[in-house]
Amino acid sequence: MTLYIDAGTTYSKIIADGEKLDFLPVKNENGFLYYIIPSSEVRFLDLKFKKSCGHMFSDENSENEIIALAQGCKKDIEPDSVVLDLGSRDAKWIRFKNGKFRDMDWNTSCASSTGATVEMLLKFYDLKTEDLKFNPEKYNVTCGIFGFEKIMDDISKGVNASDAVSKFVHGIAFNAWNFAKRPEKIYLSGGFCNNECFVKSLENYCDVVKLGRFKLCEGLIDG
Amino acid sequence: MNTQKNVKIGFWGCPERTLVNELKSKYPNADWLDLDLDLNAPDKHILPESYCKIIKNIINNSLGMKDKLDIIVAPIGKDKCDSGWFAAQLLKDMGFEVIECINPNIDKKRPLVISTSNLPLYDKFNIIMNNIIDEKALNAAQCKPKFGFWGVPPNDMEILKLFPDETHVYGWTRCVERGTPADVAEEMYVEPDVPTVFYAQSFCAKCQLAKYLADKYNGLYIDIDDYATNSVRAKIEAFLRLS
Repeated sequence: MTLYIDAGTTYSKIIADGEKLDFLPVKNENGFLYYIIPSSEVRFLDLKFKKSCGHMFSDENSENEIIALAQGCKKDIEPDSVVLDLGSRDAKWIRFKNGKFRDMDWNTSCASSTGATVEMLLKFYDLKTEDLKFNPEKYNVTCGIFGFEKIMDDISKGVNASDAVSKFVHGIAFNAWNFAKRPEKIYLSGGFCNNECFVKSLENYCDVVKLGRFKLCEGLIDG
Repeated sequence: MNTQKNVKIGFWGCPERTLVNELKSKYPNADWLDLDLDLNAPDKHILPESYCKIIKNIINNSLGMKDKLDIIVAPIGKDKCDSGWFAAQLLKDMGFEVIECINPNIDKKRPLVISTSNLPLYDKFNIIMNNIIDEKALNAAQCKPKFGFWGVPPNDMEILKLFPDETHVYGWTRCVERGTPADVAEEMYVEPDVPTVFYAQSFCAKCQLAKYLADKYNGLYIDIDDYATNSVRAKIEAFLRLS
């Protein structure tokens, strides 16, 4: 069995070529089985990976995440494209022109406006992702910690927690669009593809094509 | 002051050659010390926590060897930065003998030898900076650039080892090789078709220039406070592999 892993901060995305793991796959495509497993559990599975990327797993076969993203998405995008991967703890984007790499950036220092923060907010206010709805208003979340303050202020004034967190998510979408240099269209990769509030918020600024959560992992196979 | 035999002169930036030569003539056996470098001096907490690491180095290095440092040669003009000017005022106030200077030269440009050579990037920076005080005739084989590195010598010089030898030097360090550290036109010069990493020390005013030029020329902007994290290294590596 050949295994590939994108070991994110919260979840690991695993693709198995052939045999099944003791988990329910989320997808079965072209002979490959796709799994999403909490990263905290992966270390106990005693699995050997042919290639890996991500913050939570590192060995001699580890690949750079930007390289994995570039390799994984190239078959799904137009020659002139911007791909944004927004995960638990960081955001990264690549711009292609005529099918070739042109520009990139990777926010590597501050994770206060990414997926892990949203997950914490959902837990803190006992909300589900589905409770969040696009809100045309947004908080300025250039600093996520200041964004927290806005949420708490609004809730203390009677705003629903789901509305307040939705405004926070809108702020993250606005930041992500600016971070990617305000493109007209974004190919979105990562866990935020499953957050409709985020996707709708991003669509407020540009067209969005969802690539799902496995592009980095697929890039390990293609690379 | 110590006897002439063991005079210790600290400096930062790129003082004008005439002044350096005057001091070398007056104190031929002096030890010269580049205060810009991280010499592991303890942080005296004089400056704000979030501040340019190079300026922190200057202050902490000076205080760390207060009794041994006889003279500080302090560029305070556009050839260094406003923070350098303030650092000079602080050090004077703390009792150091500070010679303030401005290197206005933008006309007498020396030819480029090292910035455009095929030497390892790490060596290029060391040779250029060592030549500020101990001027030597330089010679090195030239190469066409595959990549560019724009900026000042980083506090974390190890990041320079990520680049291939065919990386040309641009920005302030290139100006230093020219002998024209205040020449902003030279500082803003890059070759548009050469993929370039635009580096500035976090909290330095040059971040403004680095970000602007990176956007203009589709380069990679990075600012690093203190030492590079693994993520910053990965970002540079990705840029070099994908470009």
